[in-house]
Amino acid sequence: MPTVRLRDASEYPAPIQKLFEVAKAWFKYDFAQPPAMSRVMAWDPEFGGFHGRAMKRAMTPGEWTRAEKEMVAAVVSGVNACAY
Amino acid sequence: MADDAPWYEAALLVGVTNALNVVADSPLESLEPASPSAEAQAVFAEIRAFYGRPDVPAAFRRVAADAGYLADLWGATRRVFDDNQLTRRHKEALAFAVSVTTRSAFGTAFHLGEMRRLGVGERGVLEVLGVTQMFSSYTKIADTLQLEPDMDGIAAVDPSPAPGGAAPALRTRPPEAP
Repeated sequence: MPTVRLRDASEYPAPIQKLFEVAKAWFKYDFAQPPAMSRVMAWDPEFGGFHGRAMKRAMTPGEWTRAEKEMVAAVVSGVNACAY
Repeated sequence: MADDAPWYEAALLVGVTNALNVVADSPLESLEPASPSAEAQAVFAEIRAFYGRPDVPAAFRRVAADAGYLADLWGATRRVFDDNQLTRRHKEALAFAVSVTTRSAFGTAFHLGEMRRLGVGERGVLEVLGVTQMFSSYTKIADTLQLEPDMDGIAAVDPSPAPGGAAPALRTRPPEAP
């Protein structure tokens, strides 16, 4: 169980809900609710904005493809024993 | 990467990378034989050729007193790092990410060197470092809040059988009682 109550997308202000739509397009997946991490990042937009942009920069194709980067992300998450 | 094969390959690579790092980062210099056997020297020659360098990485030198074990360790290492479903270049990037994440001084320096040797530029190195750093943040935030996985539905299920095996039999419903 999460240690906080994750708010539904509808509980966030309108500008944040627009960002959730952007996230949906990024993942190319129609979530019933935005992923938990998206909702956590949206809790503090002054943090989430920077962190989200840094994340997007890191994951944008460059010398490595998006798929190759996703695999790097997966092994880092695995080594960190992160179930999420 | 919708197929399972590259993910199996990546997982084996993570395991071997960590196995090499734990030995190389430990104070085990005293285990390195002063005069490796002829069998160990033959394995060393393969290792030097694979990595295109004159020296043998510490992780292999330290187990060289048992030439049979060294040969098997090297065989597994070569198998997971060689080009297969994933390129050797990409595998070195994965090993670098694992090594940075586990704070392995040996692995970080070694796989950074291998990435560069295989043609990864400074931009490419920083891209891997950026993903590693961002997901080292992401995972700890998720763990602290004990978030439960909610993105597994994105991944497609690969219905193909194990390598060399047969496709799974179709499961039919048992007949219902009249």
